[in-house]
Formats: sequence, C-alpha cells, structure tokens
Amino acid sequence: MPPSTKRLNNGLSVTTKVFVRSRNGGATKIVREHYLRDDVACYSKLCDQCEYSLETTPVLSHVPFSTAKLTKHYLILDTNIVLNAIDLLEGSQALFDVIIPQTVLEEVRNRSYPIYTRLRGLSKADAKRLIVFHNEFCKNTFVARQKGETINDYNDRLIRKVGEYYNSHLSNYGVKVFLLTDDKDNLKKCKDEHILALSLREYLGQLPNSEDLLDTLPSAQDDLQVAEFKYAEYYSQSRLIAGVKSSVLFQGPMNVSSYDIFEGTINLPSIFPKPILVRGRQNMNRATNGDLVVVELLPKSQWVAPSNDIVDETTLGNADNEDNDLIISDQERRLLNKEARRAQMEDESKLQPSAKVVGVIRRRWRLFTGQLSPNTITTNTNALNSCLVTLSEKSMPAVRIKTRKANDLLNMRIVVAIDDWPGTSKHPEGHFVRTLGPIEDKDTEQEALLLEHDVEYRPFSKNVLDCLPKEGHEWIVPVDLSSDEQLKKRRDLRDKLVCSIDPPGCVDIDDALHARKLPNGNFEVGVHIADVTHFVKPATALDQEGASRSTSVYLVDKRIDMLPTLLGTDLCSLKPYVDRFSFSVIWELDEDANIINVDFMKSIIKSREAFSYQDAQDRIDDSSNNDELTQGMRSLLALSKKLKKKRMDAGALNLSSPEVKVHMDSETSDPGEVEIKKLLDTNSLVEEFMLLANISVARKIYDAFPQIAMLRRHAPPPSTNFEALNEMLHIRKGMTISVENSRALSDSLDRCVDKNDEYFNTLVRIMATRCMMAAEYFVSGNFSYQEFKHYGLAADIYTHFTSPIRRYCDVLAHRQLAAAIGYEPLHPIQRDKTKMDLIVKNMNRRHRNAQFAGRASIEYYVGQVIKNTESSQEGYIIKVFTNGIVVLVPNFGVESLIKLEDMGDESSGLFDEKEFKLSFNDKIGNKRELHVFDKVTVYMKSVLNEMTGKRKAVFLLK
Amino acid sequence: MELYSPEGLRVDGRRWNELRRFYCRINTHPIVADGSAYVEAGNTKIVCLLNGPHEPTRSQMNTQKGSLDIKLHVSPFSTTERRKVTRNDRRIQELSTILKNTFEQVVILKNYPRTIIEVNVRVLAQDGGLLAACCNAITLALVDAGIALYDYISAVSAGVFDNQILLDLNRLEEQDLSSVTIGVVGKTKKLSLVLSETRLPQDRLAKVFEVAVNGCHQLKDQMDAQVAKKGREKAITEELKTNWVQ
Repeated sequence: MPPSTKRLNNGLSVTTKVFVRSRNGGATKIVREHYLRDDVACYSKLCDQCEYSLETTPVLSHVPFSTAKLTKHYLILDTNIVLNAIDLLEGSQALFDVIIPQTVLEEVRNRSYPIYTRLRGLSKADAKRLIVFHNEFCKNTFVARQKGETINDYNDRLIRKVGEYYNSHLSNYGVKVFLLTDDKDNLKKCKDEHILALSLREYLGQLPNSEDLLDTLPSAQDDLQVAEFKYAEYYSQSRLIAGVKSSVLFQGPMNVSSYDIFEGTINLPSIFPKPILVRGRQNMNRATNGDLVVVELLPKSQWVAPSNDIVDETTLGNADNEDNDLIISDQERRLLNKEARRAQMEDESKLQPSAKVVGVIRRRWRLFTGQLSPNTITTNTNALNSCLVTLSEKSMPAVRIKTRKANDLLNMRIVVAIDDWPGTSKHPEGHFVRTLGPIEDKDTEQEALLLEHDVEYRPFSKNVLDCLPKEGHEWIVPVDLSSDEQLKKRRDLRDKLVCSIDPPGCVDIDDALHARKLPNGNFEVGVHIADVTHFVKPATALDQEGASRSTSVYLVDKRIDMLPTLLGTDLCSLKPYVDRFSFSVIWELDEDANIINVDFMKSIIKSREAFSYQDAQDRIDDSSNNDELTQGMRSLLALSKKLKKKRMDAGALNLSSPEVKVHMDSETSDPGEVEIKKLLDTNSLVEEFMLLANISVARKIYDAFPQIAMLRRHAPPPSTNFEALNEMLHIRKGMTISVENSRALSDSLDRCVDKNDEYFNTLVRIMATRCMMAAEYFVSGNFSYQEFKHYGLAADIYTHFTSPIRRYCDVLAHRQLAAAIGYEPLHPIQRDKTKMDLIVKNMNRRHRNAQFAGRASIEYYVGQVIKNTESSQEGYIIKVFTNGIVVLVPNFGVESLIKLEDMGDESSGLFDEKEFKLSFNDKIGNKRELHVFDKVTVYMKSVLNEMTGKRKAVFLLK
Repeated sequence: MELYSPEGLRVDGRRWNELRRFYCRINTHPIVADGSAYVEAGNTKIVCLLNGPHEPTRSQMNTQKGSLDIKLHVSPFSTTERRKVTRNDRRIQELSTILKNTFEQVVILKNYPRTIIEVNVRVLAQDGGLLAACCNAITLALVDAGIALYDYISAVSAGVFDNQILLDLNRLEEQDLSSVTIGVVGKTKKLSLVLSETRLPQDRLAKVFEVAVNGCHQLKDQMDAQVAKKGREKAITEELKTNWVQ
C-alpha cells in the first residue's frame, strides 16, 4: 500500500518514507516523515514563477549553451555520469547549466564521499552554474516507491521525473532539459516515456570540441577485450565481512614496497607483531598502495622471505608462478593463524607469514601524474590508441588509458585517473584528465609534484578572500584601545624591546622574542606569536580553507600558503617598526632557566628589528654593541644554551637527515649549487624558546580542555624498527644502538663513532632517523597521559603553537589557549571531539605530504644541479641487495641504487645475507667485495628516466 | 544525508523554522479517565490519561495543596528496535521529575488540598522531541479534566547546526545536533521548562530561545483551536441532551 499523503497548510504536505534496514542480521523497519513542498525553486533565471528567499538567487543562465545540433539546453546528470566524469564536470570545457537532482547527490554521497564533496564544491562556485534540485522534497517531482521496486529502479524513476518536470516547467521559455545517463535501461525508459535523454558520449559527440572531451572519459564498459590476463576473483562481500569477523581473514591497509610493486605488507599490530607479507602479482591480486584490503594467509609451505631483489615496472614482464588451488577449511586456517603468530615471535628464519589478497574494501585512488610509455603506442594515426601510462609514484603499477592523442601526449607530463581494475586486465584501467606540460619543464614538474602530494595550490576562492579585513593592507592596530570589549582585554606590550630572528628573506614572521633582567636577578622572557586567530574566525570559509590546507608547503623556489598572502605576510606577520596583534607567553626564568612563573596573554607589540640568523649572530658577537636590545638578545642566547643542555640531559635526540639547500642563480633562476645546511647558535636560540612556549601552552590547554586539547606526540620507536640497523652495526662495526628510552638511544648514538671517518656518526644518525616513528597531531582525549610523550624532544607533553601562519594546529592551539585564559569562548565546532578528530586526521596527512613535497622539490633541483656538474663523489653504502646496492652521497644528500649488472658480471654476484656483503667480478674481471657502510667513490651523473620522465641521479661505482 | 543542505532544506524536507505536523485530540478516553489527550508531533505519538483530583493514600496527603503525580511509560515498540524500558530507568525517572516540576508551576494546586492528580503518559512512538510532546499532551489532558491552570504550557525543541538554528528536531537531527527543549507559559515569553542534554554554545542561546518561543506560540494556537473545537462540540451535545430530556 502506498503511504498516504496528508495536506498541511501553506503548500506543505507530509507523507512517510518507509524502508527496511538490516542490522546485525535482523531487519528493522524505519518510518520517517517526508515533507513535500511547492516552493522548491527551479533556479533558472528565465523562470518567473519560482520564488527565492533572501539568500538564494537563480543560477542557471538566461542564455543556455547551444550548438548547431543542439538547441538551448540545461542538463540533468545521472549518478553514473557524476561518478565517472567528475573531472570533466570540474573542468571548464563542457557541461554548463547543470541540474543535480537530490536523488543523485545522495547516491553519489553513498558511493564516494570525496566525489560528493567535489560536487558540493561545484554547487558553491559560480563558474559551472551547477545547482542541486531537491526533487524528493518537491511536490511536483516526488513519486512514491512502488511495491517490489528496487531502490535503483526507484531512483531512476525519480530522476526521470525531474527531467519531465523541468521540461514542462520551462516549456514556455524555449529551453530544453536533457537528462544525461549512461544507464542503458534508464535511457530506454526515457525513450518510452518521451523524456529527452542522451548518453554522455552522444551528448559530447555533438559538441564542437568532442574529440578532446571524449578522450577524457573513462573507457566504456561494454568494450570487449581479449582477456590478456586472469586474476583470481575477489570473495563476495558477505564472505569477506564474515571472514574478518571470525578472524579467518584479515583487513588492513596495503603498504606497497617502493622497491617492488608486487611486494606489499599489511601491518596489524594488534594481531601479528610483524607485518604480513604479500608477494607476487597473483597474490597482490590488483591491490595498490594504500588500498584497504582483506587478505587470507597462505599455507606455510608457500611462505616467503621479503625479497632482496629490486623489481619495478622496467624489469617486469616475466611470468608469475601458477596459483595452486589449495582448499583449506576454516578450522585449519585458525591453526595456521596461531602458527603464523608463533612463527613471528620465535622463528629466527627470514620466512614471513605470507598472504594473498582476497578482497579490496576501499581503493585509495586519486589523480596521478605520469607519462606515456613510448613503446606502448602502436599506431601513428589519430585512431583510438590503448597505451600505458607510467605513474610518478613508484609503488603504483602502470595504468592503461585509451586516447586518440597519444602522439601529442608523448613527452608530456599528464594527469590520469584510475577507474577500475578488472580481473582480466594486467593493468588498471584509467582515463586521461589533462596535460600539465612538457616533461622537465620547471613549472610542469612543480605542478606535478604538488598534484602528486595532494597539495592544494589553486588560488584562494572569492569566498575565502571575502573573510579578510576590508581595509586590506591599510589595516592597522586601532589607536583607541578602550573602544572595544575584546580590545580592552589585550595587554599593551609596545614598550618591550621585541625583535624577531628568522631565515634571511623571511616574510611570514610568526614569532618574536624579548628578554629583560628583572630587579630580583631573574629574567623576564617573552615569546610573541602572530595573532592569526584575530583574523581567522572559526567556522568561516577562511578557517575551513586553512583547515583543509593545514600547512604551508615550502618548495625550493615557491611557497604555497595556508592563508592568503595579505594575512601571512602583512597583517599577521610580526613585521618590525609597526604595531601588531600578538599572542604572548611571558615567563619569569631564574639564572638556570627554570620556570618560576608563566603567563599567557593576547597583546599588542611593536617589533624593533627583524634579524636574520646571521645578523643576530653578528650583533651578539659584536662586543662593542651594548644597547638594551643586544643585551636582551645575549640573555636570550645564554638562557637558550641552558635550556638546550637541560633538554639534552633529559634525553632529547639529536637526529640527522641529509638536508641540503639549493642556491638559485638570481638572474636565470637556474639552480646553481648545493650546500649542506649549517646551523648557527641563533638558530637554536629561537628553537629553544619556541619549544619552551609550545610545552607551556600544551600544559595550559590540556589543563583547560582535557578531552579536546590539540597536542602533538612522538611515539617511541618499536625496537623491531632498529633490528636491521643494529644487526648491520653489530656485524660490520661491533657497535649497538639501545632503544629502551630516548636517553639510552641518544647516548648510544653518541658512541657510534668511527675514528677514521668523521661522517660515520652522522650516517648512523640519518639511518636511525629513518627507523623512528613519525610525530603526529592528536586530540588529548584519544590517548592516556603517558602516551602524550614526545620521544624526540623528551617532553612529556607538546603541541604546536608558535607558527600559526603556516600550520593549522597552531591556530587551533591559539583558540584553545584564548578560551583557557578567558579571552573568548571556544566555538562549538571545536568542542566537538568527532569533528576535531577529522581535522587532526587531515592535518597529519597534509603535514606528511607537505614534507614529502618539499623533499621531492629539493630532489628535483639537486637532479638539475647534477645534470650540470657531473663529478666523482664520495658515498656510503647503506643497503645491500642480491642484485644491487644503495649508495648515499652526503654532499648532495641524494641516494641511488646501483644495479649489479652496471657494476660487473651479473652471474658472478654472490650475496652474503649474514655479512651484508655482495661479492662479484667487476667489468675488468677483478674480484670485488662490497659491505654495508663501506665508503666508495662513485661517478655521479643525472639521467632522464625514459619510463617515468623523472631525472634521477645515477651513480657509477669506481 | 545532509542534515541541512546549502539550499536550506532539512533531512525531512522542512525549512529551518517549520514545525513538524502537529495533531492533537482531547477527551479521547472519556470513560477510563477524567481527562485525556492524544498528541502526534511528526511521528512521536503520546497518549495521556489523567485521573483526579481524588483522595490519595494517607502517606501522599498534603493538607496545604494538592499533589501532582506524573508517570511516564515508554512502550517497548516505540523505537525502531524493540526495547524494554523499565519504569526504574534513570532517564525515564528524570523526565518524569522534570515534567512534575514544570507542571507544579502552572497547575493551581492550592485549589486542591488533600487530593492527588495522577497523570499517566504513555509513549506510543518516538521520533524526537519526546519531552516536548509529553508536555503538550499533559497540558491538554489537564484542560480536558477541567483542572485550574494559570495558562497552557506548550513545548518544543530546537537545535543548532553550525550556525543555523533548526526548530522541532526529529530523531535523526536530535542524534547529531546539540539541542534544547523549552516550555513556554501561554503566549508569554516566560519559560517554565528548559532542558538541554547536550552542550550548546552560550552565545547562540538567546537566538535559539527566540525561535523556539515562536514555535511554542504556534503550538499553543493549534492546541487552543482543538480545545475550542471540542468545547463547541460538547456544548452542542449538552444542548441536544437537555432538549431531549425536556
């Protein structure tokens, strides 16, 4: 029986929506009210019947798009179109004046949340004139679900009804409304019901630039292919769920090795102490890096050791071993699980419990950059060409795309999206999205790099810029401080001798310092941080943009800001000689830098000078200079040294990474030379006080908000991480690293010294750093106090507070601190722990990506430098494989692989796993032995990789 | 599902300031109770039966004024998943006490010394706004029983979604948003009931109250209309009866 509809007053009627939901095996009937209204607007500028409230205005254009073949028209998109052609929808080439029925929006949301957010983003921007029409709430377009009708059929019917409604609603204005759908069934029904409908291909085919557009579409599903390959089929959804529940199957994110795309590990720390290994094309079964997969353990006889080989796309192509079909019962499987666990605990052999992928729960496919592999292009004509794209990301397989422009795309860096990976195809299938530019072009590479690391680099939208102060650069601190309640709460600190110390050329000055000797012999030390939250109010578009970017990204010659430049480099930046709002932490420190007292306040400061590290150092060292500011800086330096000593005594780590800096030629902006970063005393001066401020603030906000304080932790590394390094050190050098606590680690690292080699200690530090866990942001409610510890800094609690211009965590910490000192209450969104959890998750991801992007940028430029200066360099062997070695060259901070075949006779290679030794006959026939940690001389040059289009340092052993 | 879409529609198709369908009847059980009422607010359905004022057991006797006893029963079938709710459930007890405190302010109890007024509220279906619906049902039952009141109490819930205030939350919204239930005396702005079980930002509170009070007044009008209608019907039947007897 269809639900009855009751009419209420003022054009509103109500009906019920009934559906059955299964939960825990049982079925529940859910009845919801559903209101139907007659005031849902059509959003067409042509229509004069619909009414709009104050905030909304019609969007769809007066003069809709038309071509020779098509009259003026609007478009309604079906779910399959949105899901498959979201890139096309976001582009500016086609699909304007689009109506998205609510039904479609909901379906998209259920299928893919990221695409949903992109779609919603489009509906906010004006460029594409895209609207959401709430058809299910509109009296004229709602239809009740019929008995026995599947939800898909029902949704299709709802969408068709929208087409029917719009065409009759706008019939007087000479506009046609086309329903675009790729669902054959739906198309047919449209034809039967005389509703204008087209498939996307038919529609695009009638546009003038159809050739280009059709290329960017995912390949049609009905394309018949010869099965070139056969992967095992995934288990059914229900089998996967049941299996995971009963611990027969295991679910986790796939972690693909960057050396071998067919070797992945799955970390399940709660079940297995060590990761489970998945090896081989068949066992990987179409899983790619980052996917959430379900695996099944293999029988013990098929367990393997992690490979000591290097496999990438270039070396592939050989047949994989056949998959032998063994049938194992669940009972046996459980025994096997136990065995696997025991094996990991006890067994010293290198064999690891191995598994095969039996299902993929969620793909982590985004847009990828890559280039066409030239050898896969078959024809020279403009016919449809099926070719492979090698992705820049090493842990991803090549993607097959179909394009007519293969020859134009050659030697171009392109963006592709992966659509599907059918079991019959050796490679995942994708489609071309757009071209970035020629390979090795500086701008192209930069954009590719940003895309690859998912960095949002587009300019800020108007929405966001509207949140900035109206005065723009003219904004100044109000003269009359008593004019405003909030302003009255600020402390006027303009009399303090504040200065800032930053890298040369820094424009976004986050922090400034001052120090003064108090009459009682103690010191008053103040750290002043740019008051970003005065301008970035919670829940504004600006705030949301900041939260989604989460961090500024620093590339060698470009900075991608988290906040608009006006704020970052002017209004917030603590520039010298002008009044600025700041958030101050003021301590009273005694002679030995112990905290006597700490106070937090919003304030107004006036920086006296902006120093670079070198300037500050010079000023402090200049003994003739004895003005008050210099005196203050000297006290700061003296105190900072004491702070540092205390921190080191507590076990803070002094780790190392091969950081280098690229000098740019100022005229040609070509990279000139590479320099290893050096540190001055003043660097650590600023650093120490920032650490101190962060720790003090962390304590304060944790006190005030024990559940939602924004903190940062650094977990101690599990000792297993150090096993390999320790073994190498032990066997090769007779040294060990102990990892019980940070103190022990710090001390043992200090002991790792080779008298003959100064650099050896740094090398060990670099390698130890790679064994560490990554520090992460977290919300205090998610961990117990003991777990807050920051291992690297040896602090029991820590947060980020001192760089709000370039990190979002600091913005949150500012708001929490402001609430903690009673300056202004915390916005409800930030009291909501679940929302905070989401923000934190995003922050951690963005932060990591930003780091990787920065490193990749340096790597690219180092490659450019090497291209110009081929030379012999000293390097260290840091890893030995059966068929190659990895060498690190400290002078350039680059490491690269040298394959055995390039060093000598491949067949003579002998790999000694226990001794980390590779012996072989070199090209001349001399016997050579290479060990890990050996110092070698290599000839370094840079070679453009034909497959990936990336310039890589290539070493030749001398 | 979007709780509040950028186009300004809520999950069930209402706009932010729209009440759900409100339906009420009084004198539904004239035989078993002295006063009775049935209220539907959307899919929340309440029956309220009132007995009294009558003589209580000795222990409940108050010589100064009448006592009010409100019992809340939640039917096991009232939620989507069948669940037995005992009378000793802490939440139920708390709600009963809140209702009692609320109505002690408007019932002129000093008119009924040495008596008790027993109110039994039965929840047939829940879809958000439980407390508000109970309040409205009790008001109507009190009116039906002819018990002296200073004025009606009409109640409604309101919540906050980001910066948007939403009136009369249904179950879906209630689960995800912070909300407050208020009861208003008559058509004034006097609040006899304020209950929030979630955190609500202080600076939004004034706005939320304004919207909710407005909603309460709308409900009061609808309840009034029902009472008046019932009154007219009763007047006619009374007239018929007297004419018939004569």
